[in-house]
Amino acid sequence: MTMTEENETITMQEEEQIHSWHSQLLRNISKSLHDFRMADRPGKVDMLGKWGLFIPAVASTLIIVLILAFLWFESVPILVDPSGGPGIVVSPTWDPNRDLFGIAIFIVGSLLCAGIAIGLAVPLGIGGAIFLSEFCPMRLRQPIKMIIEMMAAIPSIVYGLWAYLVLVPIIKNNIAPITQSPTNGLSLLAGGLILAIMLLPTVVTISTDALQTVPLSLREASLALGATQSETSRKIVLSAALPGVGAAVVLSLGRAVGETMAVLMVTGNSLQIPYSLFDPTYVMTSIITNQLGYAFVFPLWRSALFAVGLVLLIMSICFTLTAKLFIRWGMKTRGYI
Amino acid sequence: MLKNGESESILYRLYALSGLKDALKSRRHFSDYIFKVILGLVIIIIVSPFFLILFQVAGVGFWQVFGTGPGQGLEFLFTFPGAGLEGGIRNAFVGTVELIVVASAVGIPLSVCGAIYINEYTRPGHVRGIVEFTSDVLAGIPSIVFGAFGFVFLVDFLHIGMGIIAGSLTLAFMMIPTILRTTQEALRAVPMSLREASLALGATKWSTTWNVTLRAAFPGVITGFLLAIGRVMGETAPLIFTAGNSLIVPTELAGPGSWIASMPYTIWAYISDPREYLQVKAHGTALALMIMVLAIDLIANLISRKVTRRLV
Repeated sequence: MTMTEENETITMQEEEQIHSWHSQLLRNISKSLHDFRMADRPGKVDMLGKWGLFIPAVASTLIIVLILAFLWFESVPILVDPSGGPGIVVSPTWDPNRDLFGIAIFIVGSLLCAGIAIGLAVPLGIGGAIFLSEFCPMRLRQPIKMIIEMMAAIPSIVYGLWAYLVLVPIIKNNIAPITQSPTNGLSLLAGGLILAIMLLPTVVTISTDALQTVPLSLREASLALGATQSETSRKIVLSAALPGVGAAVVLSLGRAVGETMAVLMVTGNSLQIPYSLFDPTYVMTSIITNQLGYAFVFPLWRSALFAVGLVLLIMSICFTLTAKLFIRWGMKTRGYI
Repeated sequence: MLKNGESESILYRLYALSGLKDALKSRRHFSDYIFKVILGLVIIIIVSPFFLILFQVAGVGFWQVFGTGPGQGLEFLFTFPGAGLEGGIRNAFVGTVELIVVASAVGIPLSVCGAIYINEYTRPGHVRGIVEFTSDVLAGIPSIVFGAFGFVFLVDFLHIGMGIIAGSLTLAFMMIPTILRTTQEALRAVPMSLREASLALGATKWSTTWNVTLRAAFPGVITGFLLAIGRVMGETAPLIFTAGNSLIVPTELAGPGSWIASMPYTIWAYISDPREYLQVKAHGTALALMIMVLAIDLIANLISRKVTRRLV
């Protein structure tokens, strides 16, 4: 009995609230209109300006929504077509002439390339970050930081040019003969190496920032207990900065998967799943760059390419989310990042 | 004997200087020492690609950009390529500048106004969180996805057509997150007392924002512009499907006359061409592009360092 009464009173209150909310809105609108009419010129500019600024503020949200919507509507044809369907994500055959649009080899190629790059760049980058933030002589720190920031600014096409003209011949002539594997140098290894070089500045910069936010008192406490500098930096500083370093790794993973030009120039672009480091491979960004121009008049082909783009977009959103989670974890457990 | 003793003393001095004396005290000291040496080697490995790339690009392209002979130096930047693509890169140089100018004209007002709105007019909460999150997501989107989006949305859906408008709008989309977040950081660093003083003098929020807050945050805002411009200047992938390519500078705003070349695209087109002089031109273009991008980055760094020093 009491329950029903309570419910009734609650609905009554809610109705009243809704009613009052409506009238309040009306009152607010009429009040602001009245204010606007009464205001002098600066006041009018102030009120209009606030709403004028609202539109640019939602521009980035609008662009994200538009990108998602357009990639989705462009990939719908292949996702509902009997020859395609969501199974294209695991189907390994890409042959537009026979209407076979499996994009698994591109996903595997991208992940392998990014995996090699991360495997090389993360240990080196964290080592470099520890050196920069803990051991580097003051005189050297600023120049090294500047060079690393400049490396991050070098356009990816220049990295691609260098990799194509220097790294690929080195792999062909000097590295591949060690294992007796025939290759023209355009290989998974070349893609992984150039990606690692491109990721290093990101990893070093973000990790250095994370290491430098660790309070000095932690280091002092560890050193006072008799730990050496290397033990302090490995076991205390690095573990205290772990969320920031994790965010750096995830962000650079996103960059690795999304990198286009340099990888396109050195991975050989052959439609196969690589079985050794010296096999050529095809990554997701390359297939879009190479074929979107031709495929545009073929609905299914074009749609399959946009499905690749959608996979890329979803992956990059996931990486950004994961990095945010790392930062939130850092704020929660450590109070700094 | 004397010579031997001298070399010993030099060796000993080196030995003391290198810290080996302390390192050999115990196993833990030694591993500490080895750790530091390895990290030093790692930092050398990390920065060496910068010099290798600079060496390769400048080694081939130096005389194209700084030479004084025919077709070199400023002449390389300011003559149009001929029918066989020999000659200069004026189409690409002017194209990149025009793309950047139009992209900045669209991207900078959008992102600065957006940053002002979310930092000055909203409280921390839903609206601000959504805008911050979406601009972070936007910053992480691969450049080829921007290119594909620009192609299907601007070129195909809005019927703008390939050319300067579509290309620079795509670049403007890519600029938004960088400028928005740096401007927001700069605005956040402005002390509240400045705003309060202005409001107490009877200024409206609008004039406070534009005349007081933004002026105080200006160096940080400029840093954001420069970082964003440096970032999009080297982008190739978004331009392949949205800007087209051309041997001259665009003469119209729509149609094939508006197709526009850019320096990164030119490097890509020339480097995959077997003709020798095109390889040299690709290196020259890459060197010019690198110098432009690195100069912009250095200026941004200098401004931001000066600002942080002043605030501290």
